[in-house]
Amino acid sequence: MNQRNFLFAVLLLATYVLVPAVFGDNNYVMGLIISALIVAGIAIAWALLGNLGGMVSFGHAAFFGVGSYASALLTMKLGWPVLLAMPMAGLIAVLFSAAMLPALRLSGPYFALAILAYAQIFRILATEMDWLTQGAKGLSRIPTLPVLFGIDLGSRSGSYLVIVTLLAAFIACYAWVRRSHYGTALRAMHDSEQATRVVGVNSVMLKAWMLFLSAFMTGVIGAFNAHTINFLEPDYAFGGGWSVLPIVAAIFGGYRTLSGPVIGALCIYLIDQLLFKSLLPTGHQIMLGVLLAAMILFAPDGLLPLFRRRHA
Amino acid sequence: MLSVTDLRAGYGAINILWDVSLRFPLGQLTAIIGPNGAGKTTLLRAIMGLIPVTLGDVTLDSYSLRGRNTWDMAGMGLALIPEGRMVFADMSVEDNLAMGAFPKPHRPALARNLERVFGLFPRLHERRRQLAGSLSGGEAQMLALGRGLMSEPRLLLIDEPSLGLAPVIVHEIFAILRGLKEQGVTIVLVEQNTHMALAVADSVYLMRSGRVLLNERAAAVDSQRLHDLYFAREG
Repeated sequence: MNQRNFLFAVLLLATYVLVPAVFGDNNYVMGLIISALIVAGIAIAWALLGNLGGMVSFGHAAFFGVGSYASALLTMKLGWPVLLAMPMAGLIAVLFSAAMLPALRLSGPYFALAILAYAQIFRILATEMDWLTQGAKGLSRIPTLPVLFGIDLGSRSGSYLVIVTLLAAFIACYAWVRRSHYGTALRAMHDSEQATRVVGVNSVMLKAWMLFLSAFMTGVIGAFNAHTINFLEPDYAFGGGWSVLPIVAAIFGGYRTLSGPVIGALCIYLIDQLLFKSLLPTGHQIMLGVLLAAMILFAPDGLLPLFRRRHA
Repeated sequence: MLSVTDLRAGYGAINILWDVSLRFPLGQLTAIIGPNGAGKTTLLRAIMGLIPVTLGDVTLDSYSLRGRNTWDMAGMGLALIPEGRMVFADMSVEDNLAMGAFPKPHRPALARNLERVFGLFPRLHERRRQLAGSLSGGEAQMLALGRGLMSEPRLLLIDEPSLGLAPVIVHEIFAILRGLKEQGVTIVLVEQNTHMALAVADSVYLMRSGRVLLNERAAAVDSQRLHDLYFAREG
């Protein structure tokens, strides 16, 4: 185990134990942290697609919504256990992301626009297919996370452990891909996709895999969210916020780094909820725009690289 | 042998190659010369599957390459050294070379081939940790050539290696091409530097406006006639 992995393990253990030990009794704070980590999960998936796949997505709400509805319906209609339905929801999000494959030939803003439109289609579908989703009325009483090894995963502290585990797995997976042959090839594709094809890289397939991986992660996070709040409606599950907040978080924290999206999500979400919301009860999101604009102007690489530079 | 038969190809509505036929015999260096816009680069791109073929065929040992994916070409022993080098600017020299051996079957020989390429181009060895974007034009061309050699190709397609380079570097690169030919590599060289191309080639094709105007053994080329054809003084 090298030093970096060791540090990661220590940090992970500390996050596992310390946060519930300190805030465990405060449901409000735990709830905020869990919500921030949900945004962080999508932010990691978004940054993976952007960094490795070279695609900017404005449509992660689609994968999030599909994942949340899939898991809710699997548990409610088919009686699947929650912990089995969650990864399945990720796979279903992958299946739906396959409909995006034709858009992979588009690049830059064209891809971004295509995926934006795509996300809208699913919101409308979820509203109109009320025989399955109960339409705008929404789904309520979605099962909570179960009790496992004597830990009630449905409690705030239990849910916290689940989401931290998910994020750690996502980061480990992201790091592994980035370091592999495929990561090098994906990096090369940013310079010249044609040159990578010439040396024998199936660039279309590699990009598709990054889309699938990102959709899977986002779908699982959507499923987790569905089982923690126990209620879904189309405008909520497919809401634009699930696309925008992770982007703001990833850019704020440093989307080129592995942990930047997580740190960014915690900062953004907590500042928004604790500070901006008390200053501006309605329309507090506008402050996020101001914050993001300032960040892009003064530290375009994000918080983490800025911090590292100061200490280098 | 690589053969191109009655090939028609271009970019969407704009057709560039008008039913060209060329043959590249095994172990030989065939030069394709011609002015700008002759379709030389388009021909190489069509062979590699980077642009679709409208009519005709490309065959490698009587095996059709038409409609195949570009990324499968390396596995069949073809390597293209593209026009403008197309090195991966944000990656180190060594990583660039490693990309040349990306397909799984080539990876076990990575270390050996890296050593071979560094032997051919000691300058790349000196700069192996440097970003490819910081290389000079000549070094970048060496890197592009080295990357192509990492997959131990049987057939090398090279697009204008001399473009924008100092004569001393051009000589160095041509010496390496000659060496590769001696090792049995079949080479297709697209070049505007007619003089240099004729000096290393076994046979030569002259292209203009998407057609083949001349095909001769390099030794038999009448340079006055070539000159006249090149500058369109005769049919």
